[in-house]
Amino acid sequence: MNSESPNLTRRVANAKVGQELPELVKQPTTRQLVQYAGAQGDFYEIHYDQDYARSIGLPGVILHGLLKAAFLGQLITDWIGDEATLKTFEVSYRGIDVPAEPYRCRGKVTRIDGKNVELEVWGEDESGKRTTLGTAAVELR
Amino acid sequence: MITSAEAIDLIKTRIGVDGPAMTATVEAGHVRRFVEAIGDPNPRWTKEAPPTFLVALAPVSFHLDDAEVYGTGWLNGGNRFEYFTPVLIGDQITAKGHVVDVYDKPGSSGNLLFIIFETEYSNQRGELVARLRGTAIRR
Repeated sequence: MNSESPNLTRRVANAKVGQELPELVKQPTTRQLVQYAGAQGDFYEIHYDQDYARSIGLPGVILHGLLKAAFLGQLITDWIGDEATLKTFEVSYRGIDVPAEPYRCRGKVTRIDGKNVELEVWGEDESGKRTTLGTAAVELR
Repeated sequence: MITSAEAIDLIKTRIGVDGPAMTATVEAGHVRRFVEAIGDPNPRWTKEAPPTFLVALAPVSFHLDDAEVYGTGWLNGGNRFEYFTPVLIGDQITAKGHVVDVYDKPGSSGNLLFIIFETEYSNQRGELVARLRGTAIRR
């Protein structure tokens, strides 16, 4: 729960700089990686073939960068609801993530300028390391 | 088989040159499979496509196959989306992409090849709906 926004329908308009978004924790599985490979049409073997992934120096199959981006996209669209429109969304992949470990999506408000609200978003692995860094800009409707 | 240096030169000749346009319809079933795969139950996605769905409509990057002589694997360095118009179920989206830059540089475990590409997506009315800039890395 976001205790700083008693009126949930106005949570973007009432946001303050520094305020954190409600966390979204994902529990990715190998099944999900195959589902995502099919849905996106990205059949690069490092996402479903353990032997292939290890043969090129990975610990095993890893999450698609764009799946992690989709998780962070959900963090943002869950928060903005119908109140604001997503204008820009940028992610930089800084580390690998593996299935069967939680992937925590977090974010905070970094700037408010009239109708424009800027966010910092990131994904953390189980150890708390930020493996994905990102920013987003949303505009109040 | 071309060398890595030849592959870089070949990709350089394509900087700024759009690849063939690809057109696809935003199908309700495809969006449903996509949101099931990402685990996002928001009912909004029964009418509209979620923020990263466009990458499922057309290949994210165009004509990068030639870079596969370089290194042993691909990494996704990052993605930047700019949104202009919502993408709705039933829209017909045309994607056009080109290479913005290509360069290689030393990394901590050998050389890395960076390919920056940009894809523009427009709808059936010719409106630009989104622009995606990505960094594909060969290591």
